[in-house]
Amino acid sequence: MPRPPGRRDRPDRPDRPEHRGLLRRLGPAFWLAAGWLALVVAVAAAADLLPLPRYDETLAGPPRSGPSAEHPFGTDALGRDLLSRVAHGARVSLGVGVGAVLLGLAAGAPLGVLAGYRRRRTDAVIMGANDVALAFPAMVFALAVVAFAGASLVNVLAVLGVLSVPAWIRLVRGTTLVFAEREFVTAARALGARDRSVLWREIAPNVALPAASYAFVGMAVTIVAEGGLAFLGLSVQAPTPTWGGLINEGRPVMETAPHAVLLPSLVMFLTVLSANLVGDRLRALTDVRQSGLEPVRRRPAVPLPAPGQVHRIEEGALLQVAGLRTHLPTPRGTVRAVDGVSFTVRRGRTLAIVGESGSGKSMLIRSVLGLVPGPGALRGGRVYLDGRDLTGLSPERMRRVLGTRFGAVFQDPMTALNPVRRIGVQLAEPLRVHLGLGAKAARARGTELLASVGVPEPARVMRRYPHQLSGGMRQRVTIAMALSCGPDVLFADEPTTALDVTVQDQVLRLIRRQREERRMAVVLVSHDLAVVAEWADEVVVMYAGKVVERGPTAALFERTRMPYTEALLAAVPKLTDPAHHPLRLIAGRPPDLADPPAGCSFHPRCPYARERCAVEEPPLLPAETPGHLYACWYPRDTGARAPADTGSGTGTDSDGRGLDGPCGPGRPAAAGRPGDLSGPNDLSDLDEGADSRGR
Amino acid sequence: MTAVFRAVRLLVVLLVVTFLSYALLSLLPGDPVGQILGGAATPEAHERLRRELGLDDPLLVRYGSWLGGLLTGDFGTSYITGVPVLESLADRLPVTLELLAAAQLVALGVAVPAAVAAARRPGGPLDHALTAICFGLLSTPVFVLGVLLILVFAIKLKLLPATGWTPISLDLGWNLTSVLLPAVTIALPETAVYSRLLRTDLIATLQEDHITLARARGLSPRRILWRHALRPSAVSLVTAVGLNLGAMIGGAVIVETLFGLPGVGRFVVDSIFARDYLAVQGGVVLISVGYVLVNFAVDLAYAAVDPRIRRA
Repeated sequence: MPRPPGRRDRPDRPDRPEHRGLLRRLGPAFWLAAGWLALVVAVAAAADLLPLPRYDETLAGPPRSGPSAEHPFGTDALGRDLLSRVAHGARVSLGVGVGAVLLGLAAGAPLGVLAGYRRRRTDAVIMGANDVALAFPAMVFALAVVAFAGASLVNVLAVLGVLSVPAWIRLVRGTTLVFAEREFVTAARALGARDRSVLWREIAPNVALPAASYAFVGMAVTIVAEGGLAFLGLSVQAPTPTWGGLINEGRPVMETAPHAVLLPSLVMFLTVLSANLVGDRLRALTDVRQSGLEPVRRRPAVPLPAPGQVHRIEEGALLQVAGLRTHLPTPRGTVRAVDGVSFTVRRGRTLAIVGESGSGKSMLIRSVLGLVPGPGALRGGRVYLDGRDLTGLSPERMRRVLGTRFGAVFQDPMTALNPVRRIGVQLAEPLRVHLGLGAKAARARGTELLASVGVPEPARVMRRYPHQLSGGMRQRVTIAMALSCGPDVLFADEPTTALDVTVQDQVLRLIRRQREERRMAVVLVSHDLAVVAEWADEVVVMYAGKVVERGPTAALFERTRMPYTEALLAAVPKLTDPAHHPLRLIAGRPPDLADPPAGCSFHPRCPYARERCAVEEPPLLPAETPGHLYACWYPRDTGARAPADTGSGTGTDSDGRGLDGPCGPGRPAAAGRPGDLSGPNDLSDLDEGADSRGR
Repeated sequence: MTAVFRAVRLLVVLLVVTFLSYALLSLLPGDPVGQILGGAATPEAHERLRRELGLDDPLLVRYGSWLGGLLTGDFGTSYITGVPVLESLADRLPVTLELLAAAQLVALGVAVPAAVAAARRPGGPLDHALTAICFGLLSTPVFVLGVLLILVFAIKLKLLPATGWTPISLDLGWNLTSVLLPAVTIALPETAVYSRLLRTDLIATLQEDHITLARARGLSPRRILWRHALRPSAVSLVTAVGLNLGAMIGGAVIVETLFGLPGVGRFVVDSIFARDYLAVQGGVVLISVGYVLVNFAVDLAYAAVDPRIRRA
């Protein structure tokens, strides 16, 4: 079932290597296959000119003789030269293959474009007819027509061509649909471009490559179908040889002269394989992310620290993460999703990890759990639980730790549960696997767990499927699953983000109550600072895969040092804001983790950045509160800072920022603009905000 | 409501397909009278027989009366052999059904474990090898495959019979040996399709949150692949199995010919060669009804695979 290839990117996107390296991207297999096809075409075209015996000359050599210098493919039962017969057979196969593809294309492409572009009634009619065509027994149809109307080249070609039309319609319609929805097409239509010019200028070039790819695949299909007809004696009649016919003729003498079957079979196989390969490689060109048979692989640029490094185990730490790194190889380069993160959590405490989307928070959790995605991802650093290093454990022992000592809850309860398994089965599974409970005991315990997380009618919910529950209920179920084997550390990755506001509070209360009852440690990932301020004992602020500030919640919120933390705090909407106050955002975008900026990774967006920030990466320095650390050369609220003149104040421009010029006292040029970093006004807001959040 | 709509739709498809094939067969040159009487008969004899058989009536009338007979279970009697078409089909159907069932069993039995193994390490050596093998299998015409299998297993190794059919009622063991080679011939290209589809869907499923969470619960890769990932990934596979079954009821022609099996496909081909219109028409009905039934079965299978579909 060939899927219609979908294209994800506009072909004229500037960052796409368009023609550069086309040869290499197609791969050697493509060129080998194309070469074979060219050879077969050439031989078919010049079959009469080649110095070979005539294909119907009997006793050109001894009958049934194997390959020899005189007859490279040997001879058949009547002593005819097989190479000559195969070469002439190629005329039929390729003629029908190419002809049927052209016929299918000529009839199917316009109908497909029409259905995909016009949609509505036109589409319904064309696709309805297509449905009927699918239910029609195609092979019987082909056999009947050829048998009744005569087995001639034209008839075979016409039948196979007509049979290929529905597939062409589906392919072209699918591709057209994708592009007819794209902005550049809707824009052209809205601007009043005539349909015909839109079709030719915008859609046709985009449909061309998938169509070219399918032309080769369709040719392969047709050659096989023609072979089948010929095998049944229903293609071009003797004396003209056909590949299917040759294989059929060779069958009776298979025992004594296997070459008579094997060599035509081999030629046919190679031709079909080549056509399929050429089609496949062309299709792979349309898909930037996944390139068919040979996915792009890259090694990480920087080798990760060698194991064997010893860390000081902090006193009383239940979980200690030391210098954790996760690097993911991608076609664009190595993404440093987690880059040297350290923190500790004690029993009965909550550690919050905050940062924008894409700062590496979720990847950090997965990395701590050892669930690094995909092949080729590299993890470095250490994770200690009760002083024992987990990174060196065998997969089996790590699974034991995961099952009995860690629990995890993810952001979206819609995707966190397996959609095709009942709640009861999913909930009982870890109990049976890790605690060795029997089926009955596991069910009973599962029901208790559901009750303990506040699920009403737990016995009934056990029999339900996830889609039958509300979002809040599902998140309770995932929490129950995370708690089922009595974990010591609960990892909650934005557990309330996808939930209603009213449900959020319930879920957070539930997590806190469980933490107190079970004396667990909780690692809470959140971008909601109000939640963090209320529930966390300690906060880790992440930016570009690194920790930029961390410390006790009160100290961090009240005596913020790192400008990024400050910007995060300023971005929280406040009740004291006037109505219709523009939402404060952090200017600029999070950096590309495959190509992070030099120096402090926040400097391109930082209004206080100076020359040193773009060159030297700041280490984590201690603030006056014990345990409060920050990574900044010019931290806030200390004498070290002298705001730079930001000039244009775009907030994203990294060149020339703060290199020279006098500085206004404590007043960055960007201040006061909504959507930018806070100025002095916002600093006073900040205190109020922190107070109100402290509740 | 939707079930009724679907049923009506499939019925319409059935009517259109049978009518089109009826019309097509009538429009094509050649005519059964010539076949029955042979070359020597007089034009008057032709004329008389045409009238007797009702071939002079308009197309719609003939189709109508044929359809009417169909509804009462009368597929007509072959002009050529004098055997009721329904009886011939009933003789042939078990052979085709057994062949298809055996082929699907082999194909799924190989494809599912292969796909699971490949999806465990996408891009690994096993995955690459499987990709290459599948590509090769998909490029091998079924008659080439069949001839090769006969050459190796029947002629060189002499393990299995090259052709022929033993009904189950006669001898189970011989029946199985006679179905094995043709079933494998049909199954190998299907194995390639199935394992590619399932591998792709499995890899997509394995990216999902619930799988990461299952890993976070310390469950073994084997348990996750077989118990957590397989079922949610099986929808495309079910569709492909359905399409293949639907197509194969009439499409096993080549394999049945190659291995000398008295199945439906072979019957239809023989009838086409004999210009036995009613027999061909009966075969078309059987194939179309099979397609429609398989469609229904696939819908039921979706619901079994994914409980979210049961709501509708």
